[in-house]
Amino acid sequence: MRKVLILGLIAVFLMVASAGFAAYPEKGVTVICPWGAGGGTDRVARFMATELEKAYGEPFVVVNKTGGGGAVGHGAGAYAKADGYNITLLTLEITTMHWMGLTKLTYEDFDYVIQINQDPSAVMVRSDAPWKGVKDLLNDVKANPGKYKFSGSGAGTIWDLSRIGMFDKVGIPVDAATWIPTKGAAPSIVELLGGHVDVITCSLPEAAAQVESGEFKALAIMADTRDTRFPDVPTLKEQGIDWSSGTFRGIAVPKGTPKEIVKSLYETCNKIVTSDAYKDFMNKNGFGIKIRNSEEFYNFCKEQDMTWKKVLELGGYAK
Amino acid sequence: MTILTIFQLKILVPWILSMGFGILVGGTPGLTATMAVALIVPISYYLDPLAGLAMILGVSFTSIFTGDIPATFLRIPGTPASGAAVLDGYELTKQGKGSLALTIDLFCSVMGGLIGVLILILIAPPLARFALKFSSFQYFWLGVFGLSMSSVLSSGNMTRGLVSALLGLLVSTVGIDITTGYPRFAFGCTELMGGIGFIPAMVGLFGISEVLKNVRSKERLLATSIEDKLKVSASETFGIIFKRKWTLIRAALIGTCVGALPGAGADIAAWVAYGLEKKTSSHPEKFGKGCFEGVIAPTSANNAALGGTWIPALVFGVPGDSITAIVLGAMMMYGLRPGPLIFQQNADLVKGIFMIALFSQLFLIPVGLIGIKIYGTILKLPRNIIMVIVLVFSIVGSFAIRNSLFDIYIMIAFGVVGYSFEKIRIPLPPMILGIILGPMIEDNLRVGLIKTAGSFIPFLTDPISMSLITLIIFTFFGSRIGGIFKLLFQNNDQDG
Repeated sequence: MRKVLILGLIAVFLMVASAGFAAYPEKGVTVICPWGAGGGTDRVARFMATELEKAYGEPFVVVNKTGGGGAVGHGAGAYAKADGYNITLLTLEITTMHWMGLTKLTYEDFDYVIQINQDPSAVMVRSDAPWKGVKDLLNDVKANPGKYKFSGSGAGTIWDLSRIGMFDKVGIPVDAATWIPTKGAAPSIVELLGGHVDVITCSLPEAAAQVESGEFKALAIMADTRDTRFPDVPTLKEQGIDWSSGTFRGIAVPKGTPKEIVKSLYETCNKIVTSDAYKDFMNKNGFGIKIRNSEEFYNFCKEQDMTWKKVLELGGYAK
Repeated sequence: MTILTIFQLKILVPWILSMGFGILVGGTPGLTATMAVALIVPISYYLDPLAGLAMILGVSFTSIFTGDIPATFLRIPGTPASGAAVLDGYELTKQGKGSLALTIDLFCSVMGGLIGVLILILIAPPLARFALKFSSFQYFWLGVFGLSMSSVLSSGNMTRGLVSALLGLLVSTVGIDITTGYPRFAFGCTELMGGIGFIPAMVGLFGISEVLKNVRSKERLLATSIEDKLKVSASETFGIIFKRKWTLIRAALIGTCVGALPGAGADIAAWVAYGLEKKTSSHPEKFGKGCFEGVIAPTSANNAALGGTWIPALVFGVPGDSITAIVLGAMMMYGLRPGPLIFQQNADLVKGIFMIALFSQLFLIPVGLIGIKIYGTILKLPRNIIMVIVLVFSIVGSFAIRNSLFDIYIMIAFGVVGYSFEKIRIPLPPMILGIILGPMIEDNLRVGLIKTAGSFIPFLTDPISMSLITLIIFTFFGSRIGGIFKLLFQNNDQDG
């Protein structure tokens, strides 16, 4: 009798356990967004959450955990329970924050699901600026150290690092131009409009209104290939500077999340990001699409982590 | 595009619904207008662009007004822009005039909003061009000017006010410094790296300190429920406003201009308007004790500032505050490009936005009155229950802003600070000003110095800076300068 009871219990337990896996998700899933409500990353997170909800039939709730230059949200995402019910909208900062001493967290603290976006940095100046191309500009900066002011966002953010990396590739010291830190791309656009700085580096779509109205001209984008939405803007590589740089976003889960769940999430997300709705959404928001699978995304983060280590050291941001 | 376009059902229904949502958001501390707009944007993608924009405009104007409701009734600002509304509004509630104060507040919000929108419609491009002239140097002085209001707000004792303001500045330095990316006063604590949240601090300083005060009170709280006249007569309301029409107009103009600057928003506008009104008043001693100017000035200014924030957004495609930052993202989703070309390429849409903004003000009257009625029932409860409600609101609000438990501790800590400060008669508003303006002053000073390679001269020579400096000198020493002139003239007379 006892044996039967034990066997019965085991059987029930196994059924529940297997049913548990088969039915992921069986309750709501939290999507942690490390950036504020209404910003670019938040918009992407909310789009993905809505689509995941449709695909899985369980609520996917976006929670904004902001602060610490991304450290708070990424930390919350990495240290959450690794049961598949906490996913994080990972951003580039996971590869830079720990070098700057903002957190102990590294890219190794996550398991990777999928990369869904990449936005290259661009070099933009006012239309009345004397420079014809990016070479012109960089030669001028080299010849007149300390004369020109660059901006794009805060110190040590991706748009600053993009500039430092570009300078390094052509042998210009980091301090040959002054970096004017701002709270983001939009305030630096105001600075450039008002003539308070000379050059900005940020993603092209962020300044699309000014480029299209002819107030700004884009000298280059820091990507491997031209952006189909701005076919006239050459890449740095075309102009002989071997440097690509930009921000990226993807989906990750805490380290140790069951493989089956990661796989299921990857397959569902992959379906979403290859859909027309996603393309349309990203296009309207001015975001670029770049998809890497779990393994490629992990390797990409690993490679980025080393790139930024070097650039952060150059900029004097590394701790 | 005719006026009827915006009165189609597909626009009108979401518009009115979003205004109802605004009552809820504004009335709940910790839920900000920015958050409301962020929540509405994903819904609005399924709608007509004008319907989406109507929802955004509706919810933002409504929640900036309704933020004043808990500020007036419970001493907890519902949104950051309502910080200044606490001062005289809550005093009036204690005198049993809470509903009257809010009705005045509502009509001033409407008038202020109208003035802001009219300025947006009539002179947006030149005002936006002017706002572009503001860079680090000018923002620095604007921040200092705002801070000089603390001397006005500290009712009598300037030293105590200064202590409070400086502590506020100190609090504002916690967290990652944007100029160098270096964490300060964070002690390795990730939560502190994001800085001390302004909303938890403000909710603690005003709300929790009031709860603590009541806990210490020797009277039985049950017996001390406030007798509030919920019926407010229109003639009394308009009489009070009409007598102070210049206060309203001045505050609305200040609000619009501050709003139009991409680096300052409705919260700063409200404080500056309040401070200036007190400074120029013939009876400054009545401020903070429940005077109507103290209600009219900040509330006209914060709603006017909303119109102002749309000026750089539409003219240059650069956000005037966090709400318009989200709006710009939403407009791109609709396939629109805010910026210099929108007036030509989407003239109809711009006209639609203007009309919706104007009519939102009119709709705000009934919606706001309903809001006052709903929240007014709270006042019928006995004090001991109201204080529990304040506590719950404070906790939920502090948590909601960043979904962070840590912010609740911050809020409680500031509650204790607020209570102790009021005990030793250190005024709280200067501290709030310090927390709001600290980053603006510090970042712009340091970034300005980076721009000038360490020289202070450009901070002094620019015409806008010089006007701001003059204003600051007059705020601090106005009365003494007047005295010196008087003295000089008297001497001359004696010599002659």
